[in-house]
Amino acid sequence: MRANATIALLGQPNAGKSTLFNALTGLRQHVGNWPGKTVEKKEGNFSHKGVNYKVADLPGSYSLSANSDEEVITRDYIASGDADIVCILADSSQLQRSMFMLADYAGIDVPCILLLNMADVAKQQGKSIDAKAIENKLGIPVIPFSATDKKSYDVFYNALDKAVASKNKLNIEALENKYESIEGFQQICGLIPNDAITGYSSTWLAVKAIEGDKVVMAKLSEVLDDSVMAQIESIAKETKGAVATGGCKFAWIDDVLDNAVSKKSKNIKLGKLDKIYLSRVWGKPAVVLTVILGLLASFIPAIPPMIIGSVVLMLKAPIASGLAAIGAPHILTLIINDVVIQSLSYIIKMLGFVFGVTLSFGLLEEVGVMARISYVFDNTMGKLGLQGKSVMPFLISFGCTMGGAAGARVIDNWGQKVLTIALAWAVPCGAAWATIPMLATIFFGPGAVAVIVAILLIMLVHMYVTAKVFGRKLVKKQDRYGMIMELPPYHKPKWGALFRYVLGRTKETFFRVTKVVLLVCGIFWALSYSPAGGNGGILYKVGTAIEPVTKAIGMPWQLFLSYIASAVGKEGAIGVISALYSGGSYSAAFTQAMSGGGVAGDLNSILLANVTKPEALAFMFAMTFNMPCVVALAATYQETHSAKWTAKIVLYYTVVSLLLAFLAYHVGLLIW
Amino acid sequence: MSLSELKENKEAVVTNIVGDTRFVSRITSIGLTPGCSVLVVKNDKKRPMLVYSRDTMIALNKKECTGIMVEEVTA
Repeated sequence: MRANATIALLGQPNAGKSTLFNALTGLRQHVGNWPGKTVEKKEGNFSHKGVNYKVADLPGSYSLSANSDEEVITRDYIASGDADIVCILADSSQLQRSMFMLADYAGIDVPCILLLNMADVAKQQGKSIDAKAIENKLGIPVIPFSATDKKSYDVFYNALDKAVASKNKLNIEALENKYESIEGFQQICGLIPNDAITGYSSTWLAVKAIEGDKVVMAKLSEVLDDSVMAQIESIAKETKGAVATGGCKFAWIDDVLDNAVSKKSKNIKLGKLDKIYLSRVWGKPAVVLTVILGLLASFIPAIPPMIIGSVVLMLKAPIASGLAAIGAPHILTLIINDVVIQSLSYIIKMLGFVFGVTLSFGLLEEVGVMARISYVFDNTMGKLGLQGKSVMPFLISFGCTMGGAAGARVIDNWGQKVLTIALAWAVPCGAAWATIPMLATIFFGPGAVAVIVAILLIMLVHMYVTAKVFGRKLVKKQDRYGMIMELPPYHKPKWGALFRYVLGRTKETFFRVTKVVLLVCGIFWALSYSPAGGNGGILYKVGTAIEPVTKAIGMPWQLFLSYIASAVGKEGAIGVISALYSGGSYSAAFTQAMSGGGVAGDLNSILLANVTKPEALAFMFAMTFNMPCVVALAATYQETHSAKWTAKIVLYYTVVSLLLAFLAYHVGLLIW
Repeated sequence: MSLSELKENKEAVVTNIVGDTRFVSRITSIGLTPGCSVLVVKNDKKRPMLVYSRDTMIALNKKECTGIMVEEVTA
């Protein structure tokens, strides 16, 4: 086997980077965070002709300036020389604009190749591109590429093979000539030695100094004298900054593409679909409808795992009798059935849903619909410090919070993603909607409508307040800016790459989530377990002991323990209430309810006899705004990669839900 | 005049980009630099503007557009 090589994929958003990454690496990819940073790191590997390639999918950004952590990480990674070859992607259908990344890259001292992606789209638009002519001017391999075309990959692999051997670097002489037209450029260049910062040429550093790049200036000031820095700063101040260098970059791109690209002129008109999506009146309804359809579509692939998840529960009886037959201790049976089998059933059901959501919303992203969603909800979501896309996880969360968390992965900024998930928790999920109207009707009759309206209003206030509480840390003020984004043309999906991506994410989710669900379910079980049988166990003891406190919140111990159980799964909360008020033990009620166990037939009379109206109101609010469920917790951990933020969100929701219960109880006392 | 004042279906040439370093850098990196022509595709209230430039449909927040100076091209 030949030596291994590392390649990095670099390109602007919508240049087709993720599609290429998924097509190359398939299931062999891993998503984590860059060390000490809140930026996602995607790595994978593949082998071709005996060479093992490691692939780093760098975060998508429009340039390599210090506008975001993503960009700084990207350029530092490249300059570190960890990658042997940087593969820069440009979109053939909008070549001039998307070559900007290459122009911004020019001057970083690492070999690269240029991939002219979406060659098929350009061809459809009547554009023809002479890759050889561009190659001659740039001095690096230039490869026309189309992710849908199998032959493209052979060309790509071959070019990669050669590039690893020849290590061609970009010819930047012509670009330097352009920069020289900026007054002061040569002076600044002269003041910065070529080895000032490893990996970057003095040209590249001088350009960034002119652009006022704070990170570069800070790094330069570590190696250069204060007097030299002052000189650089004063010269840079006199230039027109990024306007001047940007002009040079595009002038250079024009020269490179001169005689290499020919196109037919065409009328710019919005297509039929865009006329609806981008309409001022119909845009929002169309987006909401699209997300709902996407959610419904997610259930189709989710159904088989949901069934398997239920079938797994049927293993309990044979396992119990089997273990009893070989004389295993009863507690072992309980642990295996109530913790392991139960968790497994949750996880399998969840994975089906994660698979469905990732597939249908990954598809919307890939074909370009997600960009329209961003556009339509930019103003509304911008007020919360979020991207327009965040509306999608919120809508999904009306069905299932875990799906919402999984759907949040299309948000490319980590802070905004975590904030989106944190807000999505406030949206009452399907399980809440299945129980709240029923409970409300039992207690308040037609007044149930008022309760539901109140819950929806509180949800909105909750989201607004939560955005304020967490937003300051997660989406810093200087990172909040208006939308500057390309609205890509609609693309046909690349099914193969999409499926491989979805399978990869599902597999990874399985491993991460299993740990969390087992742990949390195990803890809850252990706390509920009563060794002596009957009523006992830590939760029961604590619950009854602190009843004076919980009563002030409006919850006698039975309701409080049901509230605790609702953190594991809201479906079971009613079952727990029903069992506790009919004299069952908490330990048994908990496990029964968690496996979807029975609700007493005379639930109405049991509830009305034992629970007052203000208490009922308190419980409804506590349960609705409690942590959604164990799997939502696990999905949150999986998407945020942060135990710290997941814990913060859990704690926050627990406190807020109890606070809301307290308020609801006391408002209730005033009314009744 | 600024880009935000331009009505739908009007064409213009960018003359200058005014704003802080970060803003100028982000606008130039998406392709809007002095001398390039833009076509306003949509300019609705409470929605980002849609402009077409360098073969690309670009969505821009209204507030950001006030920093993009243009000269209208009259046919």
